[in-house]
Amino acid sequence: MQRIAEVEEKAVAAISAAASTDELKLLDQQYLGKKGELTGLMRLIGTLPPEDKPQFGGAVNKAKARLQGVLDARVESLKGGERAAQYEKERIDVTLPGLTPQAGREHVLQLAINRIHAVLGTMGFEYAEGPELEDFKYNFDWLNYPEDHPAMDEQDTFYITDDTLLRTQGTAVQGRVFEIEKPPLRHYSIGRTFRNETVDRTHAHTFFQVDCFMVDEGVSMAHLKGTLDTLASAMFGDEAKVRFRPDFFPFVEPGVDYAISTPKLFGGKWVELGGAGMIHPNILRRAGIDTEKYSGFAFGLGVERIPMMAWGIDDLRNFLENDQRFLEQFG
Amino acid sequence: MIRDFVETDLSAEEIGDLLTMTGFELEEITEEEGEPVLDVNIMANRGDGASVFGMARELLAKHPAAKPTELYKKSLNRHPASDVSAPDAASKTSVTLETPNCTRYACRIFEDVENGESPEWLQKRLRQIGQRPISLLVDLTNYVMMEQGQPLHAFDMDKLSEGRIVVKQAKDGDPFTTLDDAEHKLTADNMMICDGSGPVAVAGVMGGLETEVSATTKNCLLESAHFVNTSVRKTRKQLNLFTEASYRFERHVDPEGVVAALNRFAELYAECTGKSHVPGVVDVYPIKPTSARVTVRMDRANRILGMDVPLQDATAYLTRLGYEVTSEGSTITAQIPSWRIDVVQEEDLIEEIGRVHGFDKIPSRLPEGQTDIGGMVNQEKFTNHLHEEALRCGLDQMLSHSMRGKHPLDTDKPAIELRTPHSPEIAFLRTSLLPCLADAAVKNGGKNLHLYEYGHVFDAEKESINIALLVTGVNQSEHWGHKASSTADFYTAKGLVERLAESGNVSISVSPDSADTRLHPTRQASVLTSAGPAGVIGEIHPDIADQLGFTEPVIVAELDLEQLYSVSADHREPRSISRNPSIRRDIAFVIDKSTPYSDVQAVIEKAGGPVLEKNWLFDTYDGRGIEPGQHSLAVALQLRKVGENFTDEEANQVRDSIVSELEAIGAKLR
Repeated sequence: MQRIAEVEEKAVAAISAAASTDELKLLDQQYLGKKGELTGLMRLIGTLPPEDKPQFGGAVNKAKARLQGVLDARVESLKGGERAAQYEKERIDVTLPGLTPQAGREHVLQLAINRIHAVLGTMGFEYAEGPELEDFKYNFDWLNYPEDHPAMDEQDTFYITDDTLLRTQGTAVQGRVFEIEKPPLRHYSIGRTFRNETVDRTHAHTFFQVDCFMVDEGVSMAHLKGTLDTLASAMFGDEAKVRFRPDFFPFVEPGVDYAISTPKLFGGKWVELGGAGMIHPNILRRAGIDTEKYSGFAFGLGVERIPMMAWGIDDLRNFLENDQRFLEQFG
Repeated sequence: MIRDFVETDLSAEEIGDLLTMTGFELEEITEEEGEPVLDVNIMANRGDGASVFGMARELLAKHPAAKPTELYKKSLNRHPASDVSAPDAASKTSVTLETPNCTRYACRIFEDVENGESPEWLQKRLRQIGQRPISLLVDLTNYVMMEQGQPLHAFDMDKLSEGRIVVKQAKDGDPFTTLDDAEHKLTADNMMICDGSGPVAVAGVMGGLETEVSATTKNCLLESAHFVNTSVRKTRKQLNLFTEASYRFERHVDPEGVVAALNRFAELYAECTGKSHVPGVVDVYPIKPTSARVTVRMDRANRILGMDVPLQDATAYLTRLGYEVTSEGSTITAQIPSWRIDVVQEEDLIEEIGRVHGFDKIPSRLPEGQTDIGGMVNQEKFTNHLHEEALRCGLDQMLSHSMRGKHPLDTDKPAIELRTPHSPEIAFLRTSLLPCLADAAVKNGGKNLHLYEYGHVFDAEKESINIALLVTGVNQSEHWGHKASSTADFYTAKGLVERLAESGNVSISVSPDSADTRLHPTRQASVLTSAGPAGVIGEIHPDIADQLGFTEPVIVAELDLEQLYSVSADHREPRSISRNPSIRRDIAFVIDKSTPYSDVQAVIEKAGGPVLEKNWLFDTYDGRGIEPGQHSLAVALQLRKVGENFTDEEANQVRDSIVSELEAIGAKLR
């Protein structure tokens, strides 16, 4: 029994004197390991008379438990300091540049287009695309243009032949939809349109246009306004307001130009976004739609206007020139 | 001038705003010689708006608090003059109409004129609207046109052969010199004002040089006529002459205002000179406008407008705009004024009522009724999905012009050409997206770029939607700590194409059977689907790369999205996954380089069978110890069974059977 106390005392002294957790690991083995000194005392148990055996075994185990406690406490106290030293060694300069991930950047017009999809798609408008190289029929005839309308002039429109041209308006998709679908209809398209313009900061020969329309029973200009209000709020914030002003387009009657205004942008001024109105009865009749039963609205929207207005881009030419110094500011 | 017609306290800005809300949009207000001048846009179908009188009518309709002046009332009454039917003028000239494109021709005659400078007030007003004062007669024609909307033309009567007027179509090839000293060759489409011997003016467009009034003019014949708008437009386009007169005639001028303008001119002439004119108007008016009546049902009007306009208000609006109106129940019947050829059906009147009532009063309501799920479907949805995948793959999106110039990366199919391109840079429609991406790469320095674009391409057969990508260099900006692991090569592009196809649930194969002259002869491949070829992958041909200024290899790929979509599956078939551990065996063997790896892989997969879960090439070597023309390939085999573990012996057996099959195609285990 005295032997137990001696070993324990020696071990406690060694543990107290240890300067690192590495030393403590050795001491752990030396006293408490399978072949450790304290564990080794258990082997003496065989030499004892049977009545002393339980008492001796209990004493060894108690000593082991006490020693383990002392050891653990010492490990804990040493670890703190060692970790602190280790952490200091591992210190980094967090102000060094980060590694930019390699995700691709979306084009600024695509970002605007995505927002339009989100709004019109959730309002139940189905997306339909048409060709850029369009039939004269869909670009003009279907849209109630009189035979010699100035918009058809060679100086305004890019012709390939008399019958094919680069579409001058997204509205050209309407006739294609009307040929195959019947009301109720809600459709929109987004795509390139082309006009023969000399290019400068504020003029382009190619621009992206949204065309959106619906035909159903009882559709009114109030529904047109409600749809545009929703779109404007989504694009320019909840405070955005829409204003109608009479205007003329062959494919709508009544026809309006709509402008938006928000206190935050454009100094509270009204800024025109596009043309709109009730689909012209001549078009509905051509589509075989009963104008006594059905009516419809349509509106157009220049996609470029959205980033130009929302983010203050002031040169139209930037959009299709693919200069990454421009594009990387948005995507 | 508008205050000559409207008595109001409104400021110029307020007048501009009101006109804007009638549809005549205020462009700007400038100050000219101390007075505000409004620049207002005229809608293409509203010729009646191209006059101060017409603007005044809109303003008074929109803002009844303003009062019409005596001049407005007189204009509304079409400037009656007591001498109109006097025979004197008719004794001095005659008018013959030989074309239906002139529906009315009237003239007055002024004798012993002194065509000097106009009085200062008249000159000032013309200057304020940007017109150059010329002489009294010319200035008055311009002034009356601006005021009343009716173009007038003053002829030097002594220069008119036989002193008479004939209106007829020109003969093809007739020469004519307009008063701007330009010579024209006429066609039968051109309506001409002629005298006893030949043309003296292009009807509705411009007078002739020879009969123009000058400082020495003694006698003047003043023309006021109505020409059919489509005829004037055609001639204006053919002769490329754009004048204030043609602008108005193209948009339609009120045929009932023809004599009124002559009378107003005579009145102002007397005011300016104290002189009188030859009494009488010669007025030939064979084709009178048909006066249509249009009915509007107010319940329908309100349903379309989405707001309630009371019947009596609607009646008042139409009356103020010049319609003669009767109503019965909730139906209004309106006689269309002669200056409004744009109003032909109910919807046109609904617009009239709505715009005077105020479109700003329309409430905002969301659409009602049933609808399908909105947004993109079918091919558009597929395209958008691949677009998003390309972004996730680290490619930057480009958007380029559909119209462009020729480029060495155009396909060999002939490009569609614009009929009248205004510059060679936009003369053709793109046949491929590769020229666009190459341009974008050059623009952005030509190095370390990973770009893509989707969009329409064109050839004689069809318009397609393609997706294309271009990779060169590393896809990482230079970093102090992380060095870029590799630069782009063919396999980078191939991997991207495979990933895009996989994300769209399209099964593709990449075949060496490709001979695209735009690409490196031995570094290109075609992309195949079960429906046929869908695109190419390859390094830009070194000659073309040199020409474009690229100094490092540039690899491109282009895919036809319609083709890919046609073979895309809704989803991929999932397989159940084994919960037992896998075991790996690596093999390395030497084989002829001429054996395509796809053959090697096919042998491995066939021999491995279903327990070969995965295999991948992890190393190649052709240096020391390997015969020329051969290389060493190291392939990892990942084996797994469902429901039981692989033993080492079983794994070795699978490996050995793969090796023996590889030996059958000439491989030698290292």
